[in-house]
Amino acid sequence: MTTLKYILRDMWRLVVHHWVLGLLTLITAGVMLWILGVTTLFSLNLENLLSRLESELVVQAYLVKDNTLDIEKVAAKIQALEYVYAMKIYSPSDSLAKLQEKMGSQSRALDMLGENPIPYNFEIHVHKAEDVEHLVDELNAMPEIDDVVYAGLVVKRISALSRISSRIALVMFILSVVITALVVYNTIHISLYSRREEIGIMYLVGATRAYIATPFVLEGTLLSLLGALIAAAGIIGAYFPGVTLIQANLPFLRNSIITDRAVIFRFCALLAGFGATLGWVCSYIIVARFINSITKPE
Amino acid sequence: MNITFSEVTKTFEPDITALFDISLNIEQGEFVYVVGQTGSGKSTLLRLITREILPSAGVVAVGGYDLRRMRRADVPYYRRDVGLVAQDFKLIQSLTVYENIAFVMEAMSVPKKLVTERTKDVINQVGLWRRRSMRPAQLSGGEQQRVAIARALANSPSLFIADEPTGNLDFHTAAEVMKILFAINAAGVTVVMSTHNQAIVNASRQRVIELENGKLIRDEKGGTYSG
Ligand SMILES: Nc1ncnc2c1ncn2[C@@H]1O[C@H](COP(=O)(O)OP(=O)(O)OP(=O)(O)O)[C@@H](O)[C@H]1O
Ligand SMILES: [Mg+2]
Repeated sequence: MTTLKYILRDMWRLVVHHWVLGLLTLITAGVMLWILGVTTLFSLNLENLLSRLESELVVQAYLVKDNTLDIEKVAAKIQALEYVYAMKIYSPSDSLAKLQEKMGSQSRALDMLGENPIPYNFEIHVHKAEDVEHLVDELNAMPEIDDVVYAGLVVKRISALSRISSRIALVMFILSVVITALVVYNTIHISLYSRREEIGIMYLVGATRAYIATPFVLEGTLLSLLGALIAAAGIIGAYFPGVTLIQANLPFLRNSIITDRAVIFRFCALLAGFGATLGWVCSYIIVARFINSITKPE
Repeated sequence: MNITFSEVTKTFEPDITALFDISLNIEQGEFVYVVGQTGSGKSTLLRLITREILPSAGVVAVGGYDLRRMRRADVPYYRRDVGLVAQDFKLIQSLTVYENIAFVMEAMSVPKKLVTERTKDVINQVGLWRRRSMRPAQLSGGEQQRVAIARALANSPSLFIADEPTGNLDFHTAAEVMKILFAINAAGVTVVMSTHNQAIVNASRQRVIELENGKLIRDEKGGTYSG
């Protein structure tokens, strides 16, 4: 308890002594973690949106016109395919009814066809956009199937977008983590370097390495924690007004955005914890290395 | 805690032999002067005892324990039992006189109240109470030296290593410091101090270890010095 008090006082001395540097570190860490948080949230929302779009992707498979065909059997065969998520069967009369409903007042034109031209067909949902191509290939390979209709280009675009967005998020993640780590590392190194003589003296007169090291490690952890808290506050401050803006101007996105406050707050707490841990690990590494080299006897 | 040097040689990069083949034994409670001309290896000998440096050959043992084989984690605990006055004082420039002394005990988790008492005590012993809030840079060389002495006294060590502790002091102040060293020695503390000062050595007739170019040329009980 006594020791803790001494250590906290020493940490405070360090922070006050290098307060300009500390402030710069804190701001840099804050900005980088803010960017990290924002890109992560952006890509989470995009994922959310894409998975919504993907779940609405439909492949329509039309059977050959052959009255001897066992519909149940074909249905079971399709159901067994790897990429099928959900499936619905439409008989020719169901399909015609659907079509008539769609065409409204012009539906009379359909009466002129006489015999119903629409074959049995299946409406198949997939899990992910990239599954569509595989599914279509498999369906085309089935002799019972006459034609497959799907939104080919849209599928390709969506899966490409999803890949790019997760790649950007990954790059931003690495970039922010590396920059934050470097800044904290560098600041603590400067802090240590300017006190290298003191560190040697303290060790010489009987301070343990842990006692000497802890204030420096705490300094690094404190700076990055404060930076992370600033980032968290900045995210909360920017996110909800941003959401309101999007909901007002892009109403079709309304249901695809994460608006749950609890989720966002938990995300921010996670970010703050992550920032503090990052700072702790970085300062621990540099402090251990530095004190090792200083306390080594010639 | 007796100190034993067995055939100790210390060379510094690239090829300076600071000490050569030194063997000696210092019993607990002894008072030893280490004398010799500048560059003869006095500081090197003392720094081997405090484990600031390790021998290039031979063994330095304290309390029968080879210092080279001491675990790194045990070094601080060893040093808490060694009061050290370095030739260059080794004071922390950013701390006041008071803080420089207090922190040694703080690092040992001594409660604040005791730290305050003991710090006040040792600062008074060296007569620097009125300078307690100053930083080392604001003090004269002799005053800094006395701060270093006070700091070494603070945790009541059983071994006191002093590298020219009277080097910057006038005769009167030096005599005061010697009085303190004789007093702790009388209480059973081993004192090993290096010095150039003939008057001090000759005034008290203790054991004298003389070095020349890194070699031990004399080890005499009740010796004198006329370097
Ligand atoms: N860290 C070091 N690196 C290289 N050489 C060193 C080192 N420390 C001491 N020496 C050399 O070792 C020799 C002995 O030095 P030491 O400091 O022990 O002498 P000393 O007897 O204490 O001298 P003085 O009376 O001037 O303090 C000197 O030649 C010195 O230059
Ligand atoms: Mg010397």
